Amino acid sequence: MADSSTPIAGRNGVVVVKPSSRSRDGEKGFRTYEVHQRERVGQSTEKIKPIQLISDEYRLDPYPALAILRENYPCYRDWLGNSYWLTRYDDVSSVFSDDANFETRPKAWYYDREDFGRDLGGELSVLTADAEGTDAYATSVAEMLADGMRNNGEGDLARDFAARFPLELLARLLDLPEAARENFFAAYWRAQRGVSWMPELQQDGHRALAELVDMFTPLVEARRQAPGDDMISAMVQLEVDGGPVTATDVARTMLERDHETLHGSLANLWYLLLTHPLEFEKARAERRLMKLAYLETMRHSTPVLCVHRFARQEVERFGRLLPEGARVVCSAAAANRDPRIFNDPDAFVVGRRDMCHREPRGQYRADGLASGIAFGLGKPSVHPAVPEDRPRSRYAINRDTVVDASTVLLEKLGDIALAPGAEPILTALTVGEMHTCWQLPVRM
Amino acid sequence: MSSIVDQLAETSADSGTPNELFPLMPEGQAVDMGRAEDGTPLIDPRILDSLEFFRNPYPYYRILRDHYPVYHDKLHNCYWVTRYDDISECYFDDEGFNTIPKGSSSGVLGNTQLELSGIEHRRRRNLYGQHLVGKSLQNRIPSIERLAQEMIAAWDQAAADGSSYVSDDKGVRTVELGQMFANEFPIRVVCEVLGFPKEAQADFYYWYNSMMSGLGGSDTHKQGVEARQHLEDYVEGIVEARRKQPTYLYDEQGNPLSKDIISKLCETKVDGDFLSTEEITSNIALIVGGGGETTRGAIMNLWALLLRHPDQFAAVMADESNWDRAFHEMLRHSSSIGGQPRHNTFDIEMHGVHVPAGSLMQMVDFSANHDERIFKDPETFNIFRDDLYSGKLLRSGYRKDGVCSHMAFGVGPHLCPGAWISHQEAVVGSKILAAQMKNPRIREEKMPKDIDGVSPAPMGIISVRDLWLEFDLG
Repeated sequence: MADSSTPIAGRNGVVVVKPSSRSRDGEKGFRTYEVHQRERVGQSTEKIKPIQLISDEYRLDPYPALAILRENYPCYRDWLGNSYWLTRYDDVSSVFSDDANFETRPKAWYYDREDFGRDLGGELSVLTADAEGTDAYATSVAEMLADGMRNNGEGDLARDFAARFPLELLARLLDLPEAARENFFAAYWRAQRGVSWMPELQQDGHRALAELVDMFTPLVEARRQAPGDDMISAMVQLEVDGGPVTATDVARTMLERDHETLHGSLANLWYLLLTHPLEFEKARAERRLMKLAYLETMRHSTPVLCVHRFARQEVERFGRLLPEGARVVCSAAAANRDPRIFNDPDAFVVGRRDMCHREPRGQYRADGLASGIAFGLGKPSVHPAVPEDRPRSRYAINRDTVVDASTVLLEKLGDIALAPGAEPILTALTVGEMHTCWQLPVRM
Repeated sequence: MSSIVDQLAETSADSGTPNELFPLMPEGQAVDMGRAEDGTPLIDPRILDSLEFFRNPYPYYRILRDHYPVYHDKLHNCYWVTRYDDISECYFDDEGFNTIPKGSSSGVLGNTQLELSGIEHRRRRNLYGQHLVGKSLQNRIPSIERLAQEMIAAWDQAAADGSSYVSDDKGVRTVELGQMFANEFPIRVVCEVLGFPKEAQADFYYWYNSMMSGLGGSDTHKQGVEARQHLEDYVEGIVEARRKQPTYLYDEQGNPLSKDIISKLCETKVDGDFLSTEEITSNIALIVGGGGETTRGAIMNLWALLLRHPDQFAAVMADESNWDRAFHEMLRHSSSIGGQPRHNTFDIEMHGVHVPAGSLMQMVDFSANHDERIFKDPETFNIFRDDLYSGKLLRSGYRKDGVCSHMAFGVGPHLCPGAWISHQEAVVGSKILAAQMKNPRIREEKMPKDIDGVSPAPMGIISVRDLWLEFDLG
C-alpha cells in the first residue's frame, strides 16, 4: 500500500488513505456528497417507474412513456438503469452537438471488444467508395427487388424490400461474390444484433464477428493484389497507423457501419404511407414530396429511438450535476414529438410547414426551423456547402437512397395497397433495438 | 437471407411478458435460460424482473456465483456482485465503492447518511448510532419487554371483540403474528427509544407504512413522500420544543437515566455547528424507516423457520441462549434485506470484467449468505452450524474465530447501525412470545402455498407475508 498511496490527514486527525493505484490519473479522490443532493423532498417521480422504460409496452409503443418523461421529468434520473433520460428537443439536440462535454461510444465498446480491429469508416477514400457505390447501385438493386415482387403479384414490403435492400446494396458496395452473399447477410445481421443485452444474441454476435473476419480474409488478399473500386479495395489501399489493413479492420468497419437506419426508414416510410392514404396521394405525386415524406417519417417514427451519450467530465446541465461518465439517454423518439417544437406532433403530415426541409446544419436547425432528429446517420453536415472532394453526408446519402428506392417501387409496382386484413404495426424485436415495421403485406 | 428475415418477423410478433417467459419452478430449481457452447448456463436478464425470481431467487444467484461472479446486466445497465468475499471487500472499501447517488430511496427516506461516504458519513453515523448500542440500549430493554407484553396482553381483548386475526376455539388460540404483533412492535419500540409520546404511535405506524410502500419508484411513491413530509413536520415541532426544554428518559423506577436522543442531538455540534433541524428530522425518519420492515421480517421469518424445524425449536426452548444463534442463522438463511447498491469510484477489473467508473454495482447480500465457499450446505437452516459467527457484530471485522458472520446487516463502515437494537427487539420479543404461547405450531392450511398447492411458499426475497400460528390456552 505504502508506495501507491497518499496519506491525507483529515480535520479531526483521522488519516484517510487514498489508494491512487485505482485512480486513472492518480489525483482524483472521491467526490463529496453535497453536490449530489439534487433530489429534494417533494420531487417525486411517481408518474413513471424506471422499469417501464425496459418493459414490453415500451418495446411495442415507446411514445406514451416518453411523453410522461418529456412533460414531467425533462432530465429523468433512471436509478434502475443508472442513466439520465433527455426527452425535450432542445435538450437532446444540444447534447448531440456538444462534443466538448459528451461523447458517443463505438459499438465495439458495448461489445467489450474495443481492441477489435480499427474503424476505417471515417477515411475519405472509404467514404467516397461508399457514396459512389451507393449512387451507382441503389436504383438497380431497388429494381431487382421490385421486379421480384411484381412477378409474384404480392409480397411483403418490409421483408422482401426494406429488409433486403440495405444488405443487397452493401454486398455490391463490398463487391462480394454471389455465392458468399447469403452467409454475409446473416453474419452481418447477427453481428449488429450482438450489441444487445440478450445473452444469446451477444454470444451469437461474437461468433458472427469471427465469421465475418474469415469471410473477409481471402477478399482482402485478393483486393490487395487487384484493387477495384469497391469499399474493401478502398480500405486495403489505405496507409494507417499500426500496419496494413486486415480482415479484422474490415469487419470492425462493417460493425460500426449501420444498416438499421436505411432499413428502418424505408420500412417506416412505407408503413406510414400505406396507413395514411391521403398523405400517400400527396407523396406519390412528385419526387420532391416523396423526399418530404421521408423527412416526416424520420421525425414521426424514427427507427433508432435513442442514442447513449457519455459525459466526458462532471457537467452541470438540466438542473442536475451529471457525474463523469454519466450515461445520458438522448431520446430522438421523444424529442421528435415535442409539442414545443412541432404542432400536432403525433400526426403524420407530408410537407409540414414547421419542419426544416433541407439538410440541417450542426444543431438540427436550419432556416430557423427544427428538423427531425435521426440517429445512425452521423451528424448533419456542418459545411454550408459540401466541398467538391468530399462525398455527401450520410444524412443526404440515406435520404436520396430511400427516395430513389421508393420512386422505383412506385414506377414498377404501380398501385400498391395494403393486403386485405393486414394490420401492420411498428415494434422492436427486443428492448433497445430499432423500432420498425416487420410485416407489411401489400397487393399490386 | 430470407430465412433470417422470416425468423426476425416471427420474433417480432411474439409479445411474451417476463412472467410468461419464465414459468414458476419448484423450489431450488432454475428456469433453463439456455447454455453457451461450453455448457455454461446463460442468464437472461429479464429473469431479474420476473415473478419467478421474486418468489425464489436463490437458484439464480447460485448460477451467478458459480459462473458470473461479476455479472454485467446490460438490460438494467448494472453489475451484480454475488460472492461473499467480493462483497465484503467492496463494503469495506468506502472510497472505491461509494453510496452516491442512489436514488431508489431518496425522496422517501430523504437526504440521509445512507448516501454519505467517508468522513462525513462516519461523523454523522456515530451521532445517531451511539444511541442504539451498548449501555443506552441495555437501558431500553425493560421498556422493550414491557411493550411486547402489552401487545400480547391485548390479544385477549381482540379475541373477545371478534378480530379476524385472532380467535379462540376449544382452548386453542389462532393468531396471525404479523397483524397482531410483528408489524407494529418495531415501530412502537422506535417511538419509545426516540422518546415520542404514546399518542403519536398510531401516526408513526401510518407514516412508516406509507414510506415503505413508496420506496423503489412504486405507484405509492407520492404517498410515501407526503408521509415522510408529515413525519418530518411532526418531528420538527418536537425538535424545536426540545431545543428549548430538553426531556429525559426514565428507568422503570422513574429515575432519570439521561436526556433522550433528540434532546442530545439538539446540543450536538459537528464541525463547530449545531445540527440543523432538517438534518435531525431526516435521520430520525431514516431510523423509523430502517427499523420497521427489517425487524418485522426478522420476527416473522424467525418464527416460521423455527416452527418448521421442531427439533431446533425445542433446543431453543430448552436453552434461552440459543435464541441468539437462531436469530443469526435466520438472518443468514432468509434475511429480509436483499443487498445494497454501490457505485464504483474508479475504473476497476473484477474477475476479468472491466467495470467503468460510476457504474451501478448491486451487492447481493442474499447471495453472499448462501455462498457455498463460506457456508457448508447453505440452503439448510441449522442454528448449530459451526461456520457462522453469531457473537457480537463488529464493524471492524466480519471474520472472527475463523468463521464468517452473515451479511444481512452488511459489513464495514455502513454496517447497519440498528443491528444491535433489532437483535434485541427480535430476541426479547420472541422470548416473551415463547413464554406466552404454549405448544405453538403453524396453521399450515392458512399459510400461502407454493405452486404445487401443497407445500408452503418459499420466503423469496421478502419475508413471509402472513404467519398463522395456533397455541394452547391456559
